[in-house]
Amino acid sequence: MKRRVEIGLLFSRTGSYALLSRACREGALAAVDAVNTDPAIDITLVPVERDPGGNIDLYGPCCEEILRDTSARHVVGCITSWSRKEVIPTLEKVGGTLWYPAPYEGFESSDHIVYMHACPNQHLLPLLDWALPRYGKRAYLTGSNYIWGWEINRLARETVTAAGGLVLGERYLPIGSLDIGRMIDEIRATRPDFILNSLIGPSQYRFLAALHELGLSDPHFRPATCPVLSCNLTECELSAIGVAAEGLIAAGPYFRNLADNADPRDFGSSFEAAAHDAVLELARLLKHRPGADSISLAKLLDAPGTSACSIDPQTHHRTLPILIAQVRNGAFALCERRADVAGDPYLSRAVPAARQSGPSLRVVS
Amino acid sequence: MKRRVRIQNLGGARALILHRPHPSVQNLTRQLTAIGLVVDAIWPEPGPQILAADFVFFDVDMGYDAQFPWEPGTSPMPMVALIGSEAPGRIEWALGIGAHAQILKPVGDSGVYSALLIARDAFDARRELSGRIADLQARLDDRQSVVQAVALLASRGMSERDAYGELRQLAMNWRITFEAAAHRVIARFGDEGGADDRRSHR
Repeated sequence: MKRRVEIGLLFSRTGSYALLSRACREGALAAVDAVNTDPAIDITLVPVERDPGGNIDLYGPCCEEILRDTSARHVVGCITSWSRKEVIPTLEKVGGTLWYPAPYEGFESSDHIVYMHACPNQHLLPLLDWALPRYGKRAYLTGSNYIWGWEINRLARETVTAAGGLVLGERYLPIGSLDIGRMIDEIRATRPDFILNSLIGPSQYRFLAALHELGLSDPHFRPATCPVLSCNLTECELSAIGVAAEGLIAAGPYFRNLADNADPRDFGSSFEAAAHDAVLELARLLKHRPGADSISLAKLLDAPGTSACSIDPQTHHRTLPILIAQVRNGAFALCERRADVAGDPYLSRAVPAARQSGPSLRVVS
Repeated sequence: MKRRVRIQNLGGARALILHRPHPSVQNLTRQLTAIGLVVDAIWPEPGPQILAADFVFFDVDMGYDAQFPWEPGTSPMPMVALIGSEAPGRIEWALGIGAHAQILKPVGDSGVYSALLIARDAFDARRELSGRIADLQARLDDRQSVVQAVALLASRGMSERDAYGELRQLAMNWRITFEAAAHRVIARFGDEGGADDRRSHR
């Protein structure tokens, strides 16, 4: 007889980053299915869903509803860092845990959050390390106007400047804004070597479309000489971007159907994979431990036998592969695979790991 | 001017927590360890190892002067006050000891990273200012020497204005401060009674 364990899902199925939320939700639900049909696991996961609809002010209340009205102590959810920070007080108050499946900007290590996707030493730093020698050191930085873009661009500025490069411009748009004209004008005027894109949702789609147009009239702005780099672009948004996605370069822990895929599992994107892994990891920590459903994350991770778990008990971050890939003919193709690196949210544990370990395999130069 | 915060180099730094065993110490230790620091907690007497710490977190509720082997306000590292009771007397004591930042107790899930950066920045700024003040103070104390040296040079047949310029020129040639040049001039000419041989010193 399986033990019944409720698990919260907190994703916005509508709103400006709905594509990412849906990818995560699918990954989490598929993993719930996998757990429930696995005879070796003695628990049945029962999803409890709340949908904040992309409204930042509903994340706190929705999370509280899950933790107050149901027995769920673990919630898989949130896409933006803004929403993640909104639910922390609720998690602290009730002793809940958030399994966060999106890449983020680092500098956080909550006792109540597991960071399942990459942080800057696993996306931004290796991406710049790879791109600067290939494309040049004159950067233009864009972002949506909240902590993700601000912090990614601050780190990028520091890295580019330390490498002797130059930041030609840095501009932000409110989430959801389509007002990309000024960015495009500045990019046309400054002719950077690459563009770091931390816009999200429709702003990003409009921006990439306009940049693609620019490339049609001026060859400098095509991917070969002025590529767009991203730390959070995955397959789940390619359909919204269409032909303008060609040539985009992204860093992440997983891309779909890579020619030499070391990860044989088939996910739609790294968002889906991270949410999926979150549920499996949780099931692994709870199985054959009656009563574990309600203990704190620290105690869960502290128990003997959890050493095989991929989560660092000190930082709550994971060791992840580092892949750099480019969109070619509508799908990501591998540019470089680097050695797996532990998440280092405060960038305090090592010099940028990418520089230490170097490439382990180069597929396309 | 935009102030740049040093964010690197916290990895491997040593933090000493001066606090009796308490859940707040556990939460503080957890945060510090996650950030990458090496943590020791001691109560009540820190011993000489406090001098090897890169950051000191000290309890304001139960702390006392004798815990610190230095004059109040002259710690050789950034100090973060752990404040429980926000009573003016204890805050006054924390300021006197030389707190560079503070964290309120009970310590929860956050607040340590910003306290580290703010404490280090305040410590650096205070140390730089202390250095500049000591320098200015020394120069102020040397006003008399400067006056004496200018008078000595003037007594050798030039105007006070020229003597002042001469002293500046000597300092530049010798690559020392104005005040140090004044001391040298006094040492050389003070006993000679003003023979006109200044060119041999150029």
